[in-house]
Amino acid sequence: MAQLSDIVSEIIREEIEEFLDDPEEMERNIELFAAASPEMQDIAAALIMGDNEAVDEMTREALDSGVGALEIMDDGLIAGMGIVGVKFREGFIFVPEVLVCARAMKAGMAHIEPILAASGAEPVGTVIMGTVKGDLHDIGKNLCIMMLRGGGFTVVDLGVDTSPEEFIAAFKENNALVIGMSALLTTTMPNMAKTVEAFKDEGLREQVRFMVGGAPVTPEFGEDVGADGYGKDALACVALAKELAAAMA
Amino acid sequence: MMAYTRDKARKPEAAEPPRLARLSGEWMTPRRRFLSALYGGRVDKVPAMTLSSVVTLEAMDIADADFPEAHLDAEKMARLAATAHENLGLDTVMPVFHSQLEADALDADTWWGERDNWPATKSHVLTDPEDFKVPSDYLKRRSFQAALGAIRLLRKRYPDVAIVGKVYGAWSVGFHMVGIENWLMGTLTEPDKIRRFLEVLLPASMMSAHAQFEAGADAVMWCDHANRELVSPETYRDFLLEMHQHISAEMGGPGILHCCGETTDRIDYFAEAGWDCFHFESQVDPHKAMSITDGRMSLMGNINNPTTLFSGTYQDTYDACMAVLEAGVQGIAPEGSVPLGTKMEVLRALADSCRDYSNAHRPDGRFVSHNGG
Repeated sequence: MAQLSDIVSEIIREEIEEFLDDPEEMERNIELFAAASPEMQDIAAALIMGDNEAVDEMTREALDSGVGALEIMDDGLIAGMGIVGVKFREGFIFVPEVLVCARAMKAGMAHIEPILAASGAEPVGTVIMGTVKGDLHDIGKNLCIMMLRGGGFTVVDLGVDTSPEEFIAAFKENNALVIGMSALLTTTMPNMAKTVEAFKDEGLREQVRFMVGGAPVTPEFGEDVGADGYGKDALACVALAKELAAAMA
Repeated sequence: MMAYTRDKARKPEAAEPPRLARLSGEWMTPRRRFLSALYGGRVDKVPAMTLSSVVTLEAMDIADADFPEAHLDAEKMARLAATAHENLGLDTVMPVFHSQLEADALDADTWWGERDNWPATKSHVLTDPEDFKVPSDYLKRRSFQAALGAIRLLRKRYPDVAIVGKVYGAWSVGFHMVGIENWLMGTLTEPDKIRRFLEVLLPASMMSAHAQFEAGADAVMWCDHANRELVSPETYRDFLLEMHQHISAEMGGPGILHCCGETTDRIDYFAEAGWDCFHFESQVDPHKAMSITDGRMSLMGNINNPTTLFSGTYQDTYDACMAVLEAGVQGIAPEGSVPLGTKMEVLRALADSCRDYSNAHRPDGRFVSHNGG
């Protein structure tokens, strides 16, 4: 079993010690980072610090030195974002900090994505994501999309103010396994139900799984609107998407 | 000479004392009740209110005033707002249903929505605070013409009903004008720029508040969304506390702060800012909130929108209101603007619960006492 001291990066060691309370989560992260190369740990640490320029530079350098794109994504970018996600979930940091880290992740992914796309690697599945009709808020949805892509999904982003008809059209076009709907406003949340209903009316409901999320959305509300699952945050969204996609496969 | 008769000599009956208003039961006007509660004072009944929007599709039919026209037509806006009192029995009316009042008048790209969809800002127009200037005809622009006109109409038609205005503060107008993502990230990466934005945007919000008071609003709800789902309590302290102290002192009338979501960890700061009242959401435990505020400001709201009002029944809402009333809050209201498909029958539980609770907690027959019954 790996020890905290096996991790080279002092920043990562401190982050794990200070912010990870759950023993299982702590153990998993110690294993993950201890197995990662010092360069990957540095990328993760720069991401956690929100240093987009450093992540950009280190990702480029790692690729140039022959490190695989998948390794950088998994052991550097996603591993770092995992710590950020836990800190956000536990209330140690807030949206501004997550946005700054997400910007750093984007800087790294800009180098990784074209390589992965060209490699023809098989995606886990396709997820359609959109903020529901009447709602123009997309911070949470965009974070989920970034993590889903990092998790190996192909994501079709319908943006904001997405009507049920737009969700249906995208579903027909992309052969998606999962549809994710986001809402920030209690006034627009009912449009999640309208979208699920529209799929029922078209006879498509059984061909796809729905997941919902957003600040005012609760698991109970998700059940009420006929969704198959609720994700509290971007980390939960990826886990849920994997579960729902596996059920559909 | 007239004969003396016993009849005439009879001592006249004692004159009846002048009839006084019966100060028991529900004897306050809704306006008086609301204002007293707002300041944490004596009430005959805990007010049931709207401090955001209780507009529903049903209400639009009743008032013959639909979204989106009602956002920009004073008469329709006033008729629609009045359904809160006329049809739901609430003590307040609130004509500014949307959140675009200031932003639209500041040239934000506004989409006014549809009958069953709310207005929103489509794109953001501001990148540099030094580029911003409040337009000279700001208060004469379409969104203000409608809102101020509706407040005047309501004041004339309902002298005894409380009218609550709505202002988006500099922080939340900033979301519209600059974009929420840019704004939030800026608090970390360019804090001085965000502070400068707040400085230049504040006069637009203050002008809005003053104009609404002048038109006849009894109180103004000031919305600055610095909730836990977005920022830390320290961000509120560092960016807004001092500004809110200035606003609550200078806005020209009673101020109600609205901040969405979970706010338990910053309610103390809100009270320190000098707000008369905080309109709070259902994520906050009302008992805990009462204990934190400790009489420094009133607390109103707390009834959950999606689960209770929209998806629940009349009885669910009635029970939820009773539970919040038991905490001793100064008023009951939906936590924010209710979904348009909410049933009016369910919303009537707001007023009914306040009536029943108050009837059971009026030991002297005159004033509600949360500890007596």
